[in-house]
Amino acid sequence: MKYVLYQLKKHPLAIVGIIIIIFWLIAAFFGPSMVPFTHTQMDSEHQMVGPGTNGHVLGTDSLGRDLLARIVYGSRSILTVALMTSIVSTIIGVLLGFSAGYFGGRIDAAFLRSMDILMAIPPLVLSMVVLGILGDSSILSLTLIVSIAFVPATARVSRGVLLTEKSQEYVSAARIRGENHLYIMFVEILPNTTGPIIVEATARFAYSIMMVASLGFLGVGMQPPTPDWGMMVIENKPIIAQAPGAVLFPALAIASLVIAISIFSDFVSKVLIHER
Amino acid sequence: MNDNILDINHLHVRFETFDGVFSAVNDVSLTLGHNESIGIIGESGCGKSTLSFAVMRYLANNASVDGSIRFKGEELLEKSEKEMEAFRGNRIAMVFQNPYSSLNPALTIGFQLDEVGIHHQKLSKQKARQATLEALGMMNIGDPQGIVRRYPHQVSGGIQQRICIAMAILCRPDLMILDEPTTALDVTTEAVILDSIKELREKLSMSLMYISHDMGVINKVAEHVVVMYNGEIVERGPKNQIFENPTHPYTRALINCMPRGGVVKENTKLNTIPGYVRRRGALESGCPFVDRCEKRNDTCESKYGIREVGERHFAACDRAYATDVPDILKEKLVPRPRTTSLALNSHKELLKIENLHKVYGARRKVYAVNGIDVTVHPESVIGVVGESGCGKSTTGHMVSGLYKPTKGTIMFDGTDISIAWNKRSKDTLKKIQLIFQNPGRSLNPSHTVEQIIARPMKRLANMHDATERRQRIVDMLKKVDLGKEYLEKKPRQLSGGEQQRVAIARALSISPDLIVCDEPTSALDVSVQASVLNLLNDLQLETHAAYMFISHDLNVINYLSDYIMVMYAGKICEYGKRDEVMAPPFHPYTEALLSAMPEVDPTKQKDVIEITGQLPDPAKKPKGCPFAGRCHKQVGEICEREYPPMVRLSDTHYYNCHIKTMVE
Repeated sequence: MKYVLYQLKKHPLAIVGIIIIIFWLIAAFFGPSMVPFTHTQMDSEHQMVGPGTNGHVLGTDSLGRDLLARIVYGSRSILTVALMTSIVSTIIGVLLGFSAGYFGGRIDAAFLRSMDILMAIPPLVLSMVVLGILGDSSILSLTLIVSIAFVPATARVSRGVLLTEKSQEYVSAARIRGENHLYIMFVEILPNTTGPIIVEATARFAYSIMMVASLGFLGVGMQPPTPDWGMMVIENKPIIAQAPGAVLFPALAIASLVIAISIFSDFVSKVLIHER
Repeated sequence: MNDNILDINHLHVRFETFDGVFSAVNDVSLTLGHNESIGIIGESGCGKSTLSFAVMRYLANNASVDGSIRFKGEELLEKSEKEMEAFRGNRIAMVFQNPYSSLNPALTIGFQLDEVGIHHQKLSKQKARQATLEALGMMNIGDPQGIVRRYPHQVSGGIQQRICIAMAILCRPDLMILDEPTTALDVTTEAVILDSIKELREKLSMSLMYISHDMGVINKVAEHVVVMYNGEIVERGPKNQIFENPTHPYTRALINCMPRGGVVKENTKLNTIPGYVRRRGALESGCPFVDRCEKRNDTCESKYGIREVGERHFAACDRAYATDVPDILKEKLVPRPRTTSLALNSHKELLKIENLHKVYGARRKVYAVNGIDVTVHPESVIGVVGESGCGKSTTGHMVSGLYKPTKGTIMFDGTDISIAWNKRSKDTLKKIQLIFQNPGRSLNPSHTVEQIIARPMKRLANMHDATERRQRIVDMLKKVDLGKEYLEKKPRQLSGGEQQRVAIARALSISPDLIVCDEPTSALDVSVQASVLNLLNDLQLETHAAYMFISHDLNVINYLSDYIMVMYAGKICEYGKRDEVMAPPFHPYTEALLSAMPEVDPTKQKDVIEITGQLPDPAKKPKGCPFAGRCHKQVGEICEREYPPMVRLSDTHYYNCHIKTMVE
């Protein structure tokens, strides 16, 4: 803990990142109860108004919906999906990457080839196609699909760290003790690979926010009436001249969160890698 | 005054880290004259390398340097980065420990060497190549024309290090700093390199600063010795003074704890230095060695200083002026009496290896072990010695089950165990334990000491009662001189010696019959090595386990073993009881190994039998005597053609060589 503070002092930018993340977490948890409007409530007298009109802190969109309320509600869904995605893709990635790297040989080759195939399709295109076919963009399906699109990356990272650890002598020591494969993989090796895996998971967190926002922008993200930042940008694009804030604020929200998480992820990697 | 090449005055180097400021080099002053050679010695963590990096101004950016370093009268600490370039590599050259990482693997050797000349001396390409070839020739590298076209990975480690030295001498520097240049190399290669360094110095008349932890190496190359402890110079003076008449307790302890030639376990217990090198805060004063010193008194904690005790001989100890008898050098600890019940002469066989082969790889084959027959008797210690790549570790790993033999059988206590770990029974796994070379890597860094030792007990010895197990772990820790407080510690929090003790405790906790020790002391400092060897010896007497002790260090093998097996290129050269192997008649390879061991005692000088050349290509199946190409006693063409016959010298002693048979 003391060490983390020491590192924070050396990397003041990380503090900014953490503050932004905390801000969005508070917004997601308590925001909806603090904003006087709901995300679906239409103020027919104040459409496309600028910030500060009639209690609309950030203004309204073409239907007169409060932008602040929509952004705050939107942070809920996007953070939920992003968090779950990074957890699910990390778990699947570790399971796949570890077994491939550990057993090696044909299993590894099969793993690598199938990951190559998955990686050949850009994750965004993959998710778009699957979501388009399914025609259903609930939080759950969004999470699952984005996770699958991310698995090749997390699995490769896990495989890589496993391979470096596998050649360590403590693994040999466990083998000639007759330990089974599961024990060696998850009790001996896993605790020593948490650093890179956590770093990868936080990086995935940032990526999945980008991804969910992009999907929303492309119209296959979260379905209305759930507000989605990406979707807000595209649906307010026609009124950009009248109410620039309607496009700008959700875009800023996406940017700030993604950058903050990236900074945080950098910091985590510095702390964790230094510790070893 | 200013014909000194290097004048270091009151040099301090401090590092600012998370744990606070600590001092790596503390008030160091030394001078190095023209054409002088100075050896810096001390355990790891004593600031030897930091000192040399300070001279090169290669320090990390959290370091702060005070004092002065004058090179030929010019103050190096005041130079800018740009000005330093004119010194680095040009007038001060440095050779690092690991040649492999100091050469760029993507460029040819010739290109890298030419660059030095082109950059520093503004030579044309042709002239630079000429200088390169000349430098390579000076390092006695055969076929320089061929070498320059190769890449670093295509030559052996010994040649790589010679190339690094050639690179260092390209610009005819005034000062060459060598930072443990032979530590990663075999003794035979080391002997050759040390000789060529000596020659070079005579030829080029440059000054040398040679850093090593090995007294024997320092003895060979240096005229003056500086002993460093915890960032401070504790003693310095002419070599003979230091070795014959050491005054500082640390120097004495360091000299004493080397297992020297002829020292064996039956009559000597190795001297050790208790404790370990403590990180020093920037503000601490007093003798740095005080917490490990046997002879400390109250004044040690207070201020002390370095004072002259003889001609050009300085020491930093109160006792230095007391001129107490150097007899302490001869003072040896009394060994524990050996019980005669050890079944050394029995014909019982614990482990019987027959015609053992190991071939690695499928397409490109590497013949690691090529037919070994050997028997290990219960309760005895067999030492396996040889250069790296001779198959000694592979043999040990096959016995412990990490690899499956390609051919041949390993019988253990009546059962055939020529199978890998996943097919072995629990009982076999329990009875054979392996201690690895690098304790930091063989202990899981995220488990506590208790977990580490408890696991084999749970798994192989069916000890499921937690309190009983814990009691046994505490007992085991006590046996390896560690306290109860270590239970909750993680390997990272332990020093190298402590880590290896934990590894030993883990191996012994389930009372095995055979322990394969794969270079268990090679990664440790000499003082720690001595204490681990003592411990292994004591524990063997207590537990009656047999050891298969693998090492490249003949002195260590000589100290601990009952039987010695000398290996070369996957074959046994010589096998026999220790005293038989260590006394003539020798196999030529054993003789060469013995002569290459650096001697610690400066009064004894021996003729080194230089074996040049490289190990035979392990990718080819050897024909004839594997050592033939490097042998100094080759009898003739027969050596290349036929595998030598076994020459039996006694019931237990034999070697494989043509010599005896040819003479008759």
